Amino acid sequence: MKDPCSSVSKLLEKYFDREATEREKSFVERHLPGCPACQDALKRMERFGDLMKVPMEEAVQEDDFEQVWHRVHRKIRLKESTWWESLQPWFHLPHLLQKRVLIPAMATIAILIFFSTSLLLKKTPFYPELSVVEYVESQDYNVMVYESEKPKVTVIWLFEEPEEGEFS
Amino acid sequence: MKRVVGFPILLFILFFFFTSAAYGQVQTRLRIIRASNVGSNVDPTLRDVQKELGSLFSFTSYRLLRDETFHLSPNQPSLISAWEGRITIQTTLVGLHKGVAELKIRVIRQGNDILNTQVRISPGRTVLIGGPRLRDGGVIIYALAANF
Repeated sequence: MKDPCSSVSKLLEKYFDREATEREKSFVERHLPGCPACQDALKRMERFGDLMKVPMEEAVQEDDFEQVWHRVHRKIRLKESTWWESLQPWFHLPHLLQKRVLIPAMATIAILIFFSTSLLLKKTPFYPELSVVEYVESQDYNVMVYESEKPKVTVIWLFEEPEEGEFS
Repeated sequence: MKRVVGFPILLFILFFFFTSAAYGQVQTRLRIIRASNVGSNVDPTLRDVQKELGSLFSFTSYRLLRDETFHLSPNQPSLISAWEGRITIQTTLVGLHKGVAELKIRVIRQGNDILNTQVRISPGRTVLIGGPRLRDGGVIIYALAANF
């Protein structure tokens, strides 16, 4: 004759995980009140479950499942991602706040700020809106310079004699 | 790891993109105009400077011979010839400050400098260089404008 305990013990784990069918469930529930060994086995499972529950919940809270899912999703995608889609994970906030990204990023930003400010704060000479002729020279001809604000024009005029047949 | 490297690279690309303006090029437009008192035509493409030309010079005809737009990089001369290479204008960007570009200009005829000048030009301003006189009494005018 088949030992009912050995049959139930096989079903006990399914029963505990709430994966047993209605028939299996009623079979276990009928057997349990009269079997201290199976009751103990079920209690052990419950205690083990309680022990695992807190660390598991903590682990779930700590792990970034959204990020994990994003990576998995990216792997299983059939179509090629666009350049913008490939850039999006870089700007994902939890990812950016991770130390391995945050520290190099902040260092880079600091370097950028350092160089940018040195460029921006570099003293640039002030020039009026007029275009200024810094110098003008011609070895052979006289030169006139005329500056006009309205219209905004600077004229440099070279007084040259016409040359026969040269540019006609 | 790929992303850790990628993010600073992106920042550096942005940095060089934005700082390129500081060391950037200057878009320059050079028009070579023949002005004379023969006829009274003004080239339709010179309408924007017609008023300036009319207020400064007493010529009745302005004809556009050449219209060139080019980008000047620091210390890299740009040469534009006219009249089958007999006369050349050389423009060099020697400095670029906030709102002001420093241009060195040489007018060269048959290998000899006939004019050397250096001007500080701001966007919206035109530098006119009246050049060699022509046999018919007309003159050549270079109209130089920068945009940056």
